[in-house]
Amino acid sequence: MNIGTRKILDRSFTAVGIGSIIVMAFALMVVVVPIVSNGIGAVFFTGTVEHRKMLRNEFQRGNVEHLASGVASSERYRARVYEILGTFEAELERMEPEKKRAYTSKYSQTRTALQALLGPLPGDRAPMLTRFKYGQTRWEKAGEKLHDLLYESKWDNSNAEIMGKEYFVSRATAFEGTSLAPLFPYIKGNIEKMLLPEFTVYWGFITDSSVDSHFFGGIWPEIQGTFFLAMGAMLFAFPLGVIAAVYFTEYARPGFLNSMLRSANSTLAGVPSIVFGMFGLAFFINTLKVSESKSVLAGSLTLAIMILPTIIRAAEEAILAVPKTYREASLSLGSTKWNTIATVILPAALPGILTGGVISLGRAAGETAPIIFTAAVSVGSAIGLADVLSSPTPALSWNIYNLASEHEAAAQIRHVQYGMVLALVTIVLLLNLSAIVLRARISKKLKA
Amino acid sequence: MITSESVSTKKATRDIYLPPERKTVEGGGKSHVVAKDFSIYYGEFEAVKRVSADILSKYVTAIIGPSGCGKSTFLRAINRMNDLIPSCHTSGSLLFDGEDVYGKYTDEVLLRKKVGMVFQKPNPFPKSIFDNIAYGPRLHGMSDKKKLMEVVERSLRKAAIWDEVCDRLDKNALGLSGGQQQRLCVARTLAVEPEVLLLDEPTSALDPKATAKIEDLIQELRGSYTIMIVTHNMQQASRVSDSTMFFYEGVLVEHAATAQLFTNPKDPMTEDYITGRFS
Amino acid sequence: MAEESTGKSGRSNAFVVSARQRMFQKIAKTAGEGLLFAMASFVAVIVLFIFFFVARDAIPFFQLRGFTEFFTSSNWYPADEPGQFGALAIIYGSLMVTIGSALIAVPMGVAAAICLSDILPFSVRQYAKPVIEMLAAIPSVAFGFFALVVLAPLMQNSGGPMLMWAWWILVSPFLLLAVIVGSDLLTTSIPDEKRRHQAYLLFLALFGLIAVAFLFMVGSLLNGLQIITGTNALNVSIILSFMALPTIVSVSEDALQAVGRDIREGSYALGATRAETIIKTILPAASSGILAAVILGIMRALGETMVVWMASGNSSHIPEPWFNYLEAIRTLTATIAGDMGEADQVTGSARFHVLFAMGLLLLLLSFISNFVSERIVIRQRRILSGQ
Repeated sequence: MNIGTRKILDRSFTAVGIGSIIVMAFALMVVVVPIVSNGIGAVFFTGTVEHRKMLRNEFQRGNVEHLASGVASSERYRARVYEILGTFEAELERMEPEKKRAYTSKYSQTRTALQALLGPLPGDRAPMLTRFKYGQTRWEKAGEKLHDLLYESKWDNSNAEIMGKEYFVSRATAFEGTSLAPLFPYIKGNIEKMLLPEFTVYWGFITDSSVDSHFFGGIWPEIQGTFFLAMGAMLFAFPLGVIAAVYFTEYARPGFLNSMLRSANSTLAGVPSIVFGMFGLAFFINTLKVSESKSVLAGSLTLAIMILPTIIRAAEEAILAVPKTYREASLSLGSTKWNTIATVILPAALPGILTGGVISLGRAAGETAPIIFTAAVSVGSAIGLADVLSSPTPALSWNIYNLASEHEAAAQIRHVQYGMVLALVTIVLLLNLSAIVLRARISKKLKA
Repeated sequence: MITSESVSTKKATRDIYLPPERKTVEGGGKSHVVAKDFSIYYGEFEAVKRVSADILSKYVTAIIGPSGCGKSTFLRAINRMNDLIPSCHTSGSLLFDGEDVYGKYTDEVLLRKKVGMVFQKPNPFPKSIFDNIAYGPRLHGMSDKKKLMEVVERSLRKAAIWDEVCDRLDKNALGLSGGQQQRLCVARTLAVEPEVLLLDEPTSALDPKATAKIEDLIQELRGSYTIMIVTHNMQQASRVSDSTMFFYEGVLVEHAATAQLFTNPKDPMTEDYITGRFS
Repeated sequence: MAEESTGKSGRSNAFVVSARQRMFQKIAKTAGEGLLFAMASFVAVIVLFIFFFVARDAIPFFQLRGFTEFFTSSNWYPADEPGQFGALAIIYGSLMVTIGSALIAVPMGVAAAICLSDILPFSVRQYAKPVIEMLAAIPSVAFGFFALVVLAPLMQNSGGPMLMWAWWILVSPFLLLAVIVGSDLLTTSIPDEKRRHQAYLLFLALFGLIAVAFLFMVGSLLNGLQIITGTNALNVSIILSFMALPTIVSVSEDALQAVGRDIREGSYALGATRAETIIKTILPAASSGILAAVILGIMRALGETMVVWMASGNSSHIPEPWFNYLEAIRTLTATIAGDMGEADQVTGSARFHVLFAMGLLLLLLSFISNFVSERIVIRQRRILSGQ
């Protein structure tokens, strides 16, 4: 090969390497950016008067006078809507049966769309579910609902070769000539006055319980459950892991038994997380019966054995990094081995051990599969500290899955899902970030 | 040959020949550490070979010899620091105050309290100066703050570092200079009130000025403690010690009064070494 | 001598203790170490327990239904009466996403590891490493959510153009490189300098045209693709590769770092370029460590639950044709996660035990690959240290 080609190959090799790192950074961004940008929408958003009504009724929060004046002014504009509806209903009664039947179904669709936008209409029965008690609480959702009201969506399945295509038919044209026709331009023109959008900061998203399976309210039970589970796991795994690391580094003599223990440790690190969940179900719940069924205790124990190898490894590394001279100095002063470990080695290794612990805490908080069968429930209120031994808990990781995949109206509460993902990612990344900072400070200290 | 040599040198140390500037120590000169055919092995390898020697109390004994000659190994055997190396074992006998250091009923922790050690590189703990010094006394059950303070001050004064650190006892010891750290380590050792002080090349990591301070300190401590110092530096050995042991490849070649060993060595190998023909 | 000094503490030779005291000390020491050992061997006990308890609930399935159906049939109707438990399609689905993610993650991960250990200056590396650690730290359910809510609709609506762009961006540089190298290699044997240069340019033009035509053909083919569902094997493979990357990068970087400086310097001194040094000397020396990294990364993908559960479509069939990554599939982990909720009321039924059989399969796979990668790492260490 000539030297030119070799140089080109060399450059492109470098480019491939740098490119793959850029791709990784890009991947991180592509995942994190939508989560962050949509996630903050759960707390900062444009809320409507319906949101303020909901806050007042469900959480007894918000300025009563401001709410009352808002409701009054929105009712003024809504009155015209109710009036049009009333007129049309009367007209409907007077229609010939055939025409009446055609319009009735169309009208009930329109009415449902209107309910979704503005909340229950006068004369409706009080809804059972909280989600139907209020109109759209978020302004950007109100836009979507407005579109649903103005246009009927239909599917074009005429071409069997390709997938059906969605298209929209204006409802205004469908009701042309009836007394309902003015409704559509009126709502389109006055929607802002009827819903009174205002920029809202809803910190309650973090501190409130959820109402009507996450249609309204916040994610406090999930955050608390995640905290309980992760802390519980640390409670079991951290002391055990540090003690095991002390044994491996200070006492174990090389040999068959020791290498077996080490193999066991790396095997445990490689076990798929779902298998931990099965084991937790089969062992902690079905065999040991630590609790009747799922409980925070069982989940914590399962998570604890999952993070144990990580903690052991981190602690081992930290202990091995303690200079040998500390050990010698302490022993030469007439200290026993155990005393040396407790008073010199462990304190010196503590930052490193804590780094490993913090990372494991993040892992325990973020992991889902081990708690599916052992601790997590999808709905529930925050549990007290006294209940951790016997009751299951909602948890962020599990409820993200649950709301996104199994909730009956998953697409309507995307903002809640994003908010949960953001909360979880923030918790985990903050923990990791603090570990990175901690480690950087240690290495600086060791160099100085 | 080795044995006969050792026997003769043993006699030589018995009556230490001191140059005029060095005074005899009152109450010193008893056999403090005695080795008889003492060998140290790393696995199969015999690192120290059948050494017989007699270290006199309250005097300074220097150990010289080329790298890897076993001098540090011998020193570390005296307070059983070699126990940290799993393959290390011994034969023969090593007596301290007439008791077998490697005896069946010897508690190495109590032994190390009697036989303090200062290492090549200063190794203060990453704690405050006070906590460093108080570490030993606390280990041995002293918890009274006032008493601890007394011990700390006394030890720091003995180690001639009190004036430099008395106003920052609560500062991290790692902030001290290398020479100060080493004197701090000496003070830390003195705080447990040992009888023997083992110094393993204590100045090899220090600059000349700090070295001079350590040497002065050794002179101060002479007469209060039995001091053994391993050193690469022959001038240092001649400056600070009363008797000198020369090791070569694990064998104690010659042990004699320092003034005699450096001016009139008996063994040709010692002469070659101190005149710099090999190192 | 010992008897003499018994009980004479306070004298200068207080380091000798009585036989009784010594015995107590020994007992205490042994007991302490025994306790520590017991704590440390807890890990081994857990591993044994995991195998035991998963196997205990897995074996009844094979007793009830035998091995043949599970491994050879792809009829998965566990809720039927009587149920059908053919897991072939599910095992195949697991393999498919594992291989798919490995195809993406391995070249990228190894390239990134080389870059980190040999190419980037320390100042840049400092910032690249946290990026990788962050990627490793993001919880799997967040990746799953992203795959389901962001990537899947994107793929469904504009998958064809996306694939086309990916094809262009990823493949065209390599094709260009191949054209240059190929022309060079074909013309090296021509002795005359001027003629060689002419022939080189000719080949360059010829191959270049062919390459561009090929790129266009495949590109337009991809552009016209209709993707029926966004929750498919490709989606999952991409996300899983993100998750496997950090493992692959960090373990192979360790392996590369373990190759000494002297080997590198030896190669540079002989006039090799950096790429040649890395490919011809460093990679072979580190190959076994990199293999271990790849195995660990693949295991991460095989054992991952949430992403596949949320975004693979969970459809238990073997795609047609067999390499069609644009179809929905179902994996072992997702099946366990999804069916346990319905099956655990009926403990004792084949429906419950079949999930444990799947768990056992996963456990064995992870155990074997862990064992193999550990052996490989130990062997590499031994070779590099010259024993």
